Parts: sequence; structure tokens; C-alpha cells
Amino acid sequence: MKNFTSSCKENTAALKALLTSEDILVYTFYTKDGKECAAVYADGMTDKALLGEALARPLAAGDAPPSAEEAAKRILCPESKLLQSPCEAAREVLAGNAVLFVDGAEGALAAGLKKISLRAVAEPPGSIAVKGPREGFIEDLKTNMALVRNRLKTPRLIFKTLTVGRQSGTAVAVGYLDGIADGKIAAKIEERIRAIDIDGVPDSSYVAKFLAERPLSLFKPAGTTEKPDVLAAKMLEGRVAILVDGSPIALTLPYLITEDFQGAQDYFASFYRATASRLIRFFAVCLSLFLPAFYVAAQLFKLQLLPLGFLLTIAGSVRGIPLPPGAELFFLLVVLEILIEASIRMPKYVALALSVTGALVLGDTAVKAGLVSSSAIIIMALSGIAAYTVPELVGTVSLLRLVYVVVAGSLGPFGVLLLTALILIDLVTSDAYGCPPLAPFSPLVKKDLKDSVLKAPLANMRERPAVFGTKNKTRLKKNLPR
Amino acid sequence: MDKIKLRQICFYFAAVMPVAKMLVYPTALVYRARSGLLFSALLNFLAEGLIVLLVMLAAKRTGCSLFGLIRQKFGDAAARCVYGLFALFFLFSALLPLMEQKNFVLQVMYENTPSLISFAPFFFVSFYAAVKGFKSIGRLADIALPVFVLSFAALILLALPHADFSALLPLLAVPAKKLAAGSLFSINWYTDCAFLLFFLGHFKYEKGGAVKVLSAYAAGSAAVLLFLAVFYGVFSDIAVRQQNAIAQISKYTTSLSSLGRADYLFVFALALIVIIRMCVPVQMCVHCASAAIGCKPFFPALAANALLLAAAVFFNYSYLEIQTLFTQKLWPLFFLFAYLVPAAALLLCGRKKHE
Repeated sequence: MKNFTSSCKENTAALKALLTSEDILVYTFYTKDGKECAAVYADGMTDKALLGEALARPLAAGDAPPSAEEAAKRILCPESKLLQSPCEAAREVLAGNAVLFVDGAEGALAAGLKKISLRAVAEPPGSIAVKGPREGFIEDLKTNMALVRNRLKTPRLIFKTLTVGRQSGTAVAVGYLDGIADGKIAAKIEERIRAIDIDGVPDSSYVAKFLAERPLSLFKPAGTTEKPDVLAAKMLEGRVAILVDGSPIALTLPYLITEDFQGAQDYFASFYRATASRLIRFFAVCLSLFLPAFYVAAQLFKLQLLPLGFLLTIAGSVRGIPLPPGAELFFLLVVLEILIEASIRMPKYVALALSVTGALVLGDTAVKAGLVSSSAIIIMALSGIAAYTVPELVGTVSLLRLVYVVVAGSLGPFGVLLLTALILIDLVTSDAYGCPPLAPFSPLVKKDLKDSVLKAPLANMRERPAVFGTKNKTRLKKNLPR
Repeated sequence: MDKIKLRQICFYFAAVMPVAKMLVYPTALVYRARSGLLFSALLNFLAEGLIVLLVMLAAKRTGCSLFGLIRQKFGDAAARCVYGLFALFFLFSALLPLMEQKNFVLQVMYENTPSLISFAPFFFVSFYAAVKGFKSIGRLADIALPVFVLSFAALILLALPHADFSALLPLLAVPAKKLAAGSLFSINWYTDCAFLLFFLGHFKYEKGGAVKVLSAYAAGSAAVLLFLAVFYGVFSDIAVRQQNAIAQISKYTTSLSSLGRADYLFVFALALIVIIRMCVPVQMCVHCASAAIGCKPFFPALAANALLLAAAVFFNYSYLEIQTLFTQKLWPLFFLFAYLVPAAALLLCGRKKHE
């Protein structure tokens, strides 16, 4: 396609030929010496008041500038860019910026006047902090980048912005702290994002799928957070951040499973409390995964596992239940998943009705009708609640516990152990971006154990995690005052 | 894929190696050595420890794998032949531990002995581990250490109050001949030093590496000796009938009457390590076979596990015959492959360090 000429009319026509939609508007005005100027913009995405004040008024007040460079000096806009081709200009218009043509001046000028109605920076509902910062990312990339930069005011914070999506043209920013993050990992991520050839990227989870080194794994490919303080902390540890325009969820790589057990407020509470919380989370996830399976295996294959009193109680409660324990618990766990899925998607005004249906009809009445045992309901409820102590792992844990129940019901305790061994073998050998997901436990990284399931006092965490291979290892130079 | 760290080898000897000696081995040892079981076991540990030391000295002298060493001295064909023979040896030596594990699983984990189908999925896990190479051995050893330490300590603590160590007295009551027989006829449980031979060239030797590995081996051995002592202390004369010792020693704990067999949770944790341990000979077999044939581990792993599954089905009810064959007739085979060849590896290395 031909480059822009010095004729305002021709240039406007060339751009309009590319952008035929009705919401692409042209605002024409004249300079003092009568030369025509035109600003092309997308309706609803560009700040019209600013367009008049910062762009049209300064130009209309004087003679026409002889070139686009001169026009850039006259307008009152800090963000401007010279353009040569209609394709470049079209991209700018679609991004919400205004493209200016001045008759007699060759080329065009893009002015950053983007204004989209965005929600306010608020606490993300998925990660509420009792103590600590409450701000969360929103759907605007620049706001999110600013929130991170506000917490890391260092010239070493580098953001590289790339465009992904043939139709969506979504901006994706790769951010890292130069000298702290491994440059090779950042380069690899950048390379992978550049290689994405897809029509649209509605959310960061799309990008995560392309960044996955093992796309078929049950475990998530990248760490996620909705909080700038958490992202900043992760970047300070040597991770690389990926922000996607239109998504409030930031990705971090490399990903370790242990990071999902670390709550944001662990770092604001005492280390005793933080350690206790993490141990509880770890225990709860194990409980959620293994309790239904061992309940089934113990009933079917190894009754001695249960104390006699408990065994008699269970025997009483399961008498007359038509389903075998494995099928009973599998059915209950599927019902739990259905309830969770429904409660996420249903309108709030039917929530009460569904709660009553779920709790009374499916729970109480099913027990009274003798369809399921009360002990199985307790196991299901305990397992379901325990999984939510680590929300990031809920998806994986929910699926795995169903598999565990099937295995326990068919192969017994040895099946449970075999499945555990299989998962362990898979996890310990699946390094992604040079980091094993089970680090610092396997391979053992002694220094990193200080911030894993246990949380050492801040004074003892002098170095960044060794597993990321950071060049700048020192986190805390001087000891804390005692 | 086939890299392992010195630390992980240490953890293997301290936490993975001992569990294989806690199933049928204590009973088999008591059968021959009676109350002198500790001396018999000690003899085996000293012999195997010596081989571990020799292999570590070889590792100090060379950064080369056994395959590389043999190829340098005798050519490529010889290296392939040796690896082929070792592949067969590991495949063969995996059979008895697998059947031990099968019996353990079927007797300890189920009220009513189920069919072999319950055990068969093990071969899928073993196949997957074999495809993943030494990396999985090392990293699983990292996980195994805390699991072993906690579970072993719990089981021993539960069993200790019921152990009467005077059953081991008088210390020198058993004739030396019986002790020697106990050692010789249980040599098939002491083949871990042969694994170390194949780690050569796959780990970086660090300063004091031999001492570290030998110390870890001593720690693992001490755990087994403690286990044997407690086992004999708890059961004394009837110990010879207590197969699957790991699940037996804590069964008299009084608190269990109110808690159920809570000790099974620790037994299950150790059973997880048993699974890891039982995969190792298969992994070694696949490693040797793929080096000998010059192919990726997928097909050797498939073949090895299919053969072992077929053998497990074929010998399903012949455990005692297999045990007798392995312990009484085939001990020279184990002696040759697990002791003489690894000791000879030191001669291949020469005096100077070469990469």
C-alpha cells in the first residue's frame, strides 16, 4: 500500500478506505491560514474533549505546520508518533488514538488520546487480603503496568510490549527486572509470544496456553496473580511477568507449585502465623485429595485402617445404601462440582433457592432417603471445603480427587499409591523454563526451603530463590535491627 | 535426562535403598541366622559398602560413564555386550523384589487377597519411570528422604515399647557358619552398589564425594540394622513367620485399639518408597538396554515391563520356589554382577583423572 502524501483529503480517503466501519469518524477543522486538517478516530475509544483541546485548538490558532514533525511540537499531547503508511495509522485508530492529517504536511501524526471506560482499581474478589495492600489489576494494560511501576520505581524494570492476535491486535507486555530475572527466560518468553499466530486473545489464559512447555499437563503452566504487590514481589524474586491488555490476571514464569501455597498476607503476618497457615493449606490440600480416596479404599479393601468405633458408625450409616462406596463418593463429588459450577454462573437472586435445594434436597433428603450415607456427605463436604484453602489449585485438585476415588474404588490403597507415584514421577521430571515445578523439595534447594511450606523470618531470607538462577542474589543486605 | 546429583545418590542410599530390605529379607535372614541376624546383615553391608567405596573412587578418577570406559579400553562392541549383559541381569534381578512387593501389596493392603490385576498397574508406573531416566531416580530420592525419615521413625517409635532386645542375646550364640550362610544366601538383596556403577559419568564428583556417599550408605545400613533389631526384639522366635516385616512390627501398639491401624498410614508412606525402589532395577535395565542397542528408552521400557508382567503372571504362585532359586542357587550370579564387575571398574579408570 502507498505511503501518505501531503494531501489531507487523499490521506483521509486512504485511511477511510481501510477503516470502513461507521464508528470511525473524521473531524475536520482549519488552521488560521485556511489549510484543512483532519483527525480520524474511533468513536467511544478516543477522548473527544481532549481531541478538541489538545489537538485542534493549538493547530487552529496558528498557521498550518509545514510538516508532521512540526505539528507534533504544536499539539499539547505528550504521546505522539509519526506515521507513514495507512496500515500503521489504522492500527493506531483502532487502539483508540487519533490520527491527524494536515494539508501540505507529508505523513500523519498519531496522538495518544485513548479513553475507554474502565472499572476502578479495586480489591480482586479472588484474593482478598485481611492485611496488606488491597489494589488489584484491571482490564487496561497501561494501568496495570503503572501499578507495577508504582511499586518498583527502578530503571531496571523493563517492559517489552508485543502485539498478539491477527484480528484482536492485543497488546501483551513482558516485564522483568533487568539483572535480577534470568535474561534467557525473558527472551524465551518473548520469542514464544511473538510466535503466537491466533486470531484473537481475549484473556491472559490464552497466552498461558502458548507459553506452556507441557501443554497436556494437569497442572497449570504459569503462576497467576491479580495483585500488583504480589506481582512485584514475584518479579523481585526473579520471575518474569506477562500482562495482557483486557485481562486483570497477570502471568508469572517460571512457575513453582509451592508458590500457590504462599498467601500474600503471609509476608505481612508474623512468621509463626505464616508457617502455621501454610502447613494448614498443605494439610488441607492433601486432605482434599486423599481423604475421599482413603475413605473408599478403607471401606472396600482395608477395614483395619479405621478404629473399631468409627468402623461400626460407618457400617451403621452405609447399611442399605444401594451404591458401592466408590460410586457413592464419586457421585457426591460430581454433585459438588455441579453445585460449584452452578453457583459461579447463576444470577444472585436465585442463589438462595439453589442453596436450599443443594443443602436440603441433595444433602439431607438424600441421606434420609437412604441414597447416600451421612459419612460420605461429610467426607465430600470436608474435601470440597479443604480444596479452597489453595484456590489456585482447585481445578487440578478437583479433577485429581475424582481420579483418586475411581482408582481407590477399583484398585484399592495400592492404586492410590501408584497414582501418587505416577504424578510424582511426572512432576519431578517436568521442568519448565529451567525450573522444576516441585522445587525446592525436588530437586532439593536448601536455601529456598525458607520460603516454601515453611516461612522463615525476614531477616533469614537474605537471598533471592536460588532455583531461578538469578545473577543478583542478595535480597537483604543488612540485618534487621534487633 | 540422565543426570543425577551426588546429593541425590546419597539420599537414595539413605532413604530408598533400606526399604527393599524391610519386606521379606528380615524373615529370610532370621531363617538362617536366627538371633545373629545383625551380624549377618552387617557382613553384607560391609561387603556392599566396600564396593560402594570402590565405585566412588572410580568416579573420583573419571568423569566418564562405564560405557565410555569400556569403549575406550575394549571398543564399542565390548561396551554394548557388557551393557546388554547388565540389562539382562537387572531384568532378572528385578523379578524377586517385584514378587516380594506383589505379595506385600496383596497381603498388607487388602483384607481379601485380590487378583493380580490389582498389582499389574505397577508396570505402567515402572514403564513411565524407566522412560524418564536417572533424573526421576534422583529427584524422587529427594522426596523420599523426608518421607522415609518420618515414617520410619514413627514405626520404630510405635514398635520400640514392645521390643525385647534381650532376644538378641547372647551375641555370639550363633555359629559363624550360619552367619556366613545368612550373608551369602541374602546377597540378592544387596545389589544397589551395581546401580551406582551406572551412575558413573552421570553425576559430577564433588570434593569428599566418596565420604558423603559412604556416610549415606552407612546411615541407610544403620536404619536397616535398627529395623532388624527391633523386628527380632518384637517377634524373637516367631520372627521367621512374620513376612512383610514393615507392616508387622508396630501392630501391637496399644494406642492402635482406639485409633485403628493408624500405623498403616506410615506403612503406606513407606510403600510409596518401595514402589520407587522397585522401579530402579527396571530403570537400570532400560538404561543398559537402550545404550546397548543404541535406541531411545521407550521400546526397551515397554519390552522390559511386558516381560516382567508376564513373569509375574507366570510365577504368580511360585514365590517360594523363585526365592529359593535366587537365594540358594543363583548367588554367584549376583556376586559377579553386583560385586566383582563394579570392583573391576576401578581398574578401567587408571590412575589419572580423565574425562
